[in-house]
Amino acid sequence: MRKLWKNRPMWIALIAIVLLIVLAAFTANGRNDGMGDGLFRSAFAPVSEFLHGVQSDVGDFFVRVFTPSKLIEQNEELKATVLEQQQKLALLDETEKENARLSELLNFADANREMRFVTASVIGRDSNPYIDTITLNAGSRSGVTEKMAVITADGVVGRVSEVGPNWCRVKTMCDEKMRISVMVQRTRDEGMLGGLYEEDGTLMGTYLYYLPGKADVRVGDTIRTSGIGGFFPKGLYVGTVISVNEDGKGTHDAIVSMDIDFLHLEEALIVVGVDEAIG
Amino acid sequence: MKRRLLLIPFLILAIFLDCFVFPSLFRSGMRPLFVLSLALAATFATKVQDGILIAILGGLLTDLFVNPYVGLSAAAYLIAVCIAYGFTKKHESARLRALFGSFTAAVAAETVIFVFSLLIGARFDAYRLLRATLPSVILETLCVLPLRSALRAKEKDGSIHR
Repeated sequence: MRKLWKNRPMWIALIAIVLLIVLAAFTANGRNDGMGDGLFRSAFAPVSEFLHGVQSDVGDFFVRVFTPSKLIEQNEELKATVLEQQQKLALLDETEKENARLSELLNFADANREMRFVTASVIGRDSNPYIDTITLNAGSRSGVTEKMAVITADGVVGRVSEVGPNWCRVKTMCDEKMRISVMVQRTRDEGMLGGLYEEDGTLMGTYLYYLPGKADVRVGDTIRTSGIGGFFPKGLYVGTVISVNEDGKGTHDAIVSMDIDFLHLEEALIVVGVDEAIG
Repeated sequence: MKRRLLLIPFLILAIFLDCFVFPSLFRSGMRPLFVLSLALAATFATKVQDGILIAILGGLLTDLFVNPYVGLSAAAYLIAVCIAYGFTKKHESARLRALFGSFTAAVAAETVIFVFSLLIGARFDAYRLLRATLPSVILETLCVLPLRSALRAKEKDGSIHR
């Protein structure tokens, strides 16, 4: 016992080694997610954050001291080049996406040669999350007048409500006060369509009403413009019926879902004229 | 007590070098452990208790500063100090004793750290082990002799009293 006591520092060291290894295993990254470890890390988090900040600063200082200045300059230049290339890449990506969208619009315009279009980009949106109106970058100088139809390849966007020299405001189909005359493509039943919101203000889609008494509307039916009223050319795609309200004798009203994503709409076609023979 | 207080500047310098200077200076993965060298030098130059104290304090602080786990460095340094303590009695020549002892102890400490790293999921990389650890061990060993001399000098001129 006395001999053991004589080697007291060694015993202390051995006990300390065991305890420290246990502590290291306990705090090893990813090995333990127990409460003790969490508490330990939480307690040391501010200290650790501060120390890492100090380490980073001091480290940077020594890197600067011991690294040739030419290398630092070269590194800065390379960083600037990388940043520039990243910006170019982002621009290229954006251009590519814009190209795809415009190609889609062009295809749509080609397929509807009876209509004359002005292509316009969205330059403003209502700050209202429901986006009742949008602003386009084409106006009276491009031949745009009030009440002209605005469409995309995905369907009807809305109607021009206000026109400036090089801009116009468009009341979209989401607007509750918007009314357009539509028809069910399958049955040719006609009705009116307007924006429909839930009580909490969430846009549900569009609401199809004023249907004839014996209308037979089914979920999945395609809704197109009827041409009545003269604002929208006949036959433009509007949306698809997603629910109907009927009482056995016929459909009273229905909810129509639109394919257009009004929150991400970037380009649209303004219908500035329709050949009379077809329209 | 005074002797131990005088070791503090050495310890602070060693921690500063280990945590702030060496990680930025040696990008190749080489990472000499100056605290380990100091603990070994103290073991050979003064008393094993000083080596133990430096190993525990320096190791814990190093872990707190730079490692994701706490206690491993201290444990490895302590093992090294224990091994070095064994050498203080076996060999005749003090310099040779310190050199061999330091090398063996440094290898042991690096091995402990390496094995523990493997246990917590590090990938075994023989090339990295040789490229980074071997130069570290050599540097640590070579640092022990001047440190030991410095501590001895302080002891002789009265700065450090046994």
